[in-house]
Amino acid sequence: MKEMEQRLQKEARALLEQGKVDYIIGFEPGSLKFTTTPLITKDKEDVERLVINPFIVNNLSVFLTELQGRVGIVVKGCDSRSIVSLIQDNKVVREDVVIIGIPCTGLIDLSKVELVTGKDRDELDDIAWQGDKITVRFDGEEKVFPTEEVLFDNCLGCECPTPQEYDILLGEPRPAAPNLTASRKNLEKLDGMSSEERWDFWKNEFSRCIRCYACRNVCPACFCKRCFVEESEPQWVLPVPRWQDNLIFQVIRNIHVAGRCTDCGECERACPVNIPLRSLSKRMYELVDELFQFKAGMDKDAVPLMTHYELEEAEDFIR
Amino acid sequence: MLLPVVEYLPQTVLSRLEIYMTLESEWEPRIVGFLCKWCSYAGADLAGTSRKKYLPNIGIVKVPCSGRVDPLFIVKGLRMGFDGVLVSGCHPGDCHYQTGNYRARRRLAITKEFLEYLGVEPQRIQASWVSASEGAKFAEVVNEVTREVREIGANRLFADERNGTKAAKGS
Repeated sequence: MKEMEQRLQKEARALLEQGKVDYIIGFEPGSLKFTTTPLITKDKEDVERLVINPFIVNNLSVFLTELQGRVGIVVKGCDSRSIVSLIQDNKVVREDVVIIGIPCTGLIDLSKVELVTGKDRDELDDIAWQGDKITVRFDGEEKVFPTEEVLFDNCLGCECPTPQEYDILLGEPRPAAPNLTASRKNLEKLDGMSSEERWDFWKNEFSRCIRCYACRNVCPACFCKRCFVEESEPQWVLPVPRWQDNLIFQVIRNIHVAGRCTDCGECERACPVNIPLRSLSKRMYELVDELFQFKAGMDKDAVPLMTHYELEEAEDFIR
Repeated sequence: MLLPVVEYLPQTVLSRLEIYMTLESEWEPRIVGFLCKWCSYAGADLAGTSRKKYLPNIGIVKVPCSGRVDPLFIVKGLRMGFDGVLVSGCHPGDCHYQTGNYRARRRLAITKEFLEYLGVEPQRIQASWVSASEGAKFAEVVNEVTREVREIGANRLFADERNGTKAAKGS
């Protein structure tokens, strides 16, 4: 990981010095332990601050639609698929981005680490990769955990650890080894419920929602200039955070990003009240694959899902 | 319920939904139908002019094409307390705008499946292809949809027990 970081800093400096890009978007250490925060810079001295570690959770492609000019961007596999999806939608021009790809080993979920160690994140000294296991150091002792216990659910089911589209790859491509059962753990619980139980489950979850729109703002697939929830003529959804309207917001948001959502899991991580949003987006991802054999962000020349149709397809529900 | 002529602005769609919900009566399935102007709406007209009888539980919103039907219309209909939503358009290949109903089909398929996953009864969201010459089929579709919705009962999905207000008034 250290060599990767050094190579990234070198490449980023070269890109800025040669004027190949106007901006570099990457990750820098966050203010808290085991966190990172996005770094957007024009200054070549800032590249020293760029880091790569198992906590680079943000999907940086969300900034691409906001920046003018040519941009160098650091991406993981899932983020690169979001970029491909933006290219499909004509939101980003391929020639305007220099994609610096990371062959991703998966991201560490701190709440899972807290669960397995029984310690608060502030009490931990170090978390690091060791081969294909993860070691956590605290109170002078060292514990080793298999990846299933500490990685994010969506990382366990990752279909694309090597970026789908890149100009520079920091390291060797990694083969995909998706563990479907581990990544569907939350969904399986829902599959076992009756429809009333499921509705009550979501009703309960969404009564916590404070409508901060963090899920929408971190989502690279949510690129509308004006969101339907902010429309006032007519007002489809009340701005008051009542569970009914919260639920409608999330349902329609998921329908809007169908065929664009790459299951990066950012919405769930951004949620301040821990609503299991990925159980919705992952289901939509599966539905799109089942019904239309479409996976978001796999091919930059593919036609976006909802602007296209086949003459013969899913219509057994129509009379 | 009368068959109104509705224009296509979203405001009109919304106010039409509100009018239907304020009609007070004992519980009867209340269904909102989004009918395409070129086929299904004309089909409904034909059902009327050829004196076909069908159940009066449907309120109709005329849309220019089934492709105009935003998933938001469907969800909003349920939110306002409609017991069922019917979307009806031209048969595949007959769309006045060539491709509108194909797009509608894709959108409806994911909307329906996704709402079922959340816990909405599958019978509440209905779709049909009715051409302008199928007055009899339109009457049959309305009767069947009404029967199915009556079986599953009133829509309590968005009802809010906490403050006792009716979901329909929370729009």
